[in-house]
Amino acid sequence: MLANDNLHELIEIRHLTASAYILKMTRKGLKFNAGQHILLGKAGSIELREYSIYSGEQDDFFEVLIKEVDNGVVSKQLKQLHPGDMVQLEGPLGYFTIDTDRIAHDNFLFVATGTGIAPFHSFAKSYPLLNYQLLHGVRFAHEAYEKNEYLPQNYLLCTTAESSGDYHGRVTDYLRTHTVHPETHCYLCGNYKMIYEVFEILEKQGIPSERMHAEVYF
Amino acid sequence: MKIAFKTLGCRLNQYETDALASRFHQGSYELVDFNEQADIYIVNTCTVTNQSDQKSRQTINQARNKNKDAIVVVTGCMANNYKKSLLETNAIDFVVDNERKSQIYSILENHFRGTAADPEGFDKDVFSYEAAYKTFHTRSMIKIQDGCDNFCTFCIIPKVRGRAVSRPAEEIYTNIRQVIDHGFKEVVLTGVNIGRYLDGTTNFERLVENILHLEGDFRLRISSIEPDGFSDRFFDLFEHPKLTPHLHLCLQSGSESVLLRMRRMYTAAQFAAMVNKLKSRFPDFNITTDMIVGFPGETEEEFEQSVQMAQELEFSHIHTFKYSIRTGTRAERMPDQISEKVKNQRSAILRNISTANKKEYYSTMIGKPQRMLIERITSDGTARGYGENYIPLRLKGKNLQKNQFVNVLLTGLHEGKEPEVITIPATAVK
Repeated sequence: MLANDNLHELIEIRHLTASAYILKMTRKGLKFNAGQHILLGKAGSIELREYSIYSGEQDDFFEVLIKEVDNGVVSKQLKQLHPGDMVQLEGPLGYFTIDTDRIAHDNFLFVATGTGIAPFHSFAKSYPLLNYQLLHGVRFAHEAYEKNEYLPQNYLLCTTAESSGDYHGRVTDYLRTHTVHPETHCYLCGNYKMIYEVFEILEKQGIPSERMHAEVYF
Repeated sequence: MKIAFKTLGCRLNQYETDALASRFHQGSYELVDFNEQADIYIVNTCTVTNQSDQKSRQTINQARNKNKDAIVVVTGCMANNYKKSLLETNAIDFVVDNERKSQIYSILENHFRGTAADPEGFDKDVFSYEAAYKTFHTRSMIKIQDGCDNFCTFCIIPKVRGRAVSRPAEEIYTNIRQVIDHGFKEVVLTGVNIGRYLDGTTNFERLVENILHLEGDFRLRISSIEPDGFSDRFFDLFEHPKLTPHLHLCLQSGSESVLLRMRRMYTAAQFAAMVNKLKSRFPDFNITTDMIVGFPGETEEEFEQSVQMAQELEFSHIHTFKYSIRTGTRAERMPDQISEKVKNQRSAILRNISTANKKEYYSTMIGKPQRMLIERITSDGTARGYGENYIPLRLKGKNLQKNQFVNVLLTGLHEGKEPEVITIPATAVK
């Protein structure tokens, strides 16, 4: 039996690529801090997965950015839903957040691969005064999910399978040749191999560990 | 009516059992040992590993075999994780989830009165335990928090203990005052992820600070805590004489890449920095830990990093867990599961390091003073207990009593099944 409190109505599905899509659902007044995630699944299913919130703190809805996983269960189930269907939601949860006192004066570096861009979209939307540089690593340029949502000077697309991005190569290649200021707050979101490598690169560049924050995606 | 309790797993379970036992004792039930014939058996289970599941099941069967007419109540994390299958088991009369564990007394009272006793009909409340006065321990555990939002990829706890919730600070202070009035001299803070405690503006550091300011001759032990979210203020707290210089800081792996796959909230480097900071400020500080071996994909090189860290950080005890698949966790779906044979080998290596580290740490403490809290007096008159650094101590002397503080001097190692340190009263030293 599901508690009605956990049920949210699907408002819209926006397909960004053949496999990536955004689910927009009712928020029902739930509070969250940008960077947090929710547990989400089809209503009535025991299978829930964690998805970072893509929408901003001021929005009266929740959005999540999902990539359909080949052998996945939940990402496939959710993709088949239609507006008006119900989803089951727990949270918001997590500590991958920004100390808002720092927004006015500090610099931020966001490094994402694939759908790991979701929490950074939420940061950018929630905090318009945020001074950030976003590195987004994907294979193809069409995977630059809603890149127009970011100011061009804040966003840098790294593509590995083609050269049509702003930089041809991995985010790690870019970081090896572009030094980060040691007082930058660095937020990393993506697969663990990218995060592991970026940690090493930034450490060598003198970024103290307390300024590095990671959210691992699988 | 005779009632027996058995607790498996963590200190939080122990706290909850203690509180339940006190409630039943207050209600004129007779507490008996679990090995004795009882009318009611309460099994407070654990499900953190496969081994925990097996032990929990064995204990339930033991209870039923002791007395086929007894009421057998199963609660704890296994009750949450396997509720449906447990309810189908004939050996069990009641399955009570963690959220309703505090209601077990009322459930059984209703059962004996012949009124509604379906646990599902009782309110959920993870904090409505009364202060324990009749416990199975000399130390009084105090629950300050429940649940966890970290979602480490190996861990089933968020599923069985739910989301993180903090107990109101005022309730905690009241509870501690009560147990001190009951005569307890050591208070141990328990919860699933106590470092994330937050009640309004009272975070964990503030809570500890306020507890340290409570009156009474007691000491405070933090015990098991996740190594994330500490500020410098946290380290300063250990300057206070009431706060014991011991932490059980859960490392889990010394490999940065494994920690990322486990989705832990710290790096190995940060963990090492924390330990080194503690040891530089408080050289005798005792650090114990949990480590998991055989996490999916753990290579020889990654395991070696754990070995190296276990040696370098000189944990005086390493609680080694062999990774086991927990249904519904992210790690369940990870490739490259490690064989039992390799897990056993790695586990043995860490256990050996733990044994050596323990002996070394205890040896370095010889010649130093400790304030021993006597937990029991054995038949030969030897007092056994712990010092503030959580070292097991032995003391021979006259007029020694359980639950008494004695200032002692550590004089030598006692080589038993588990090493202990021999002491003499500090007053005997000229």
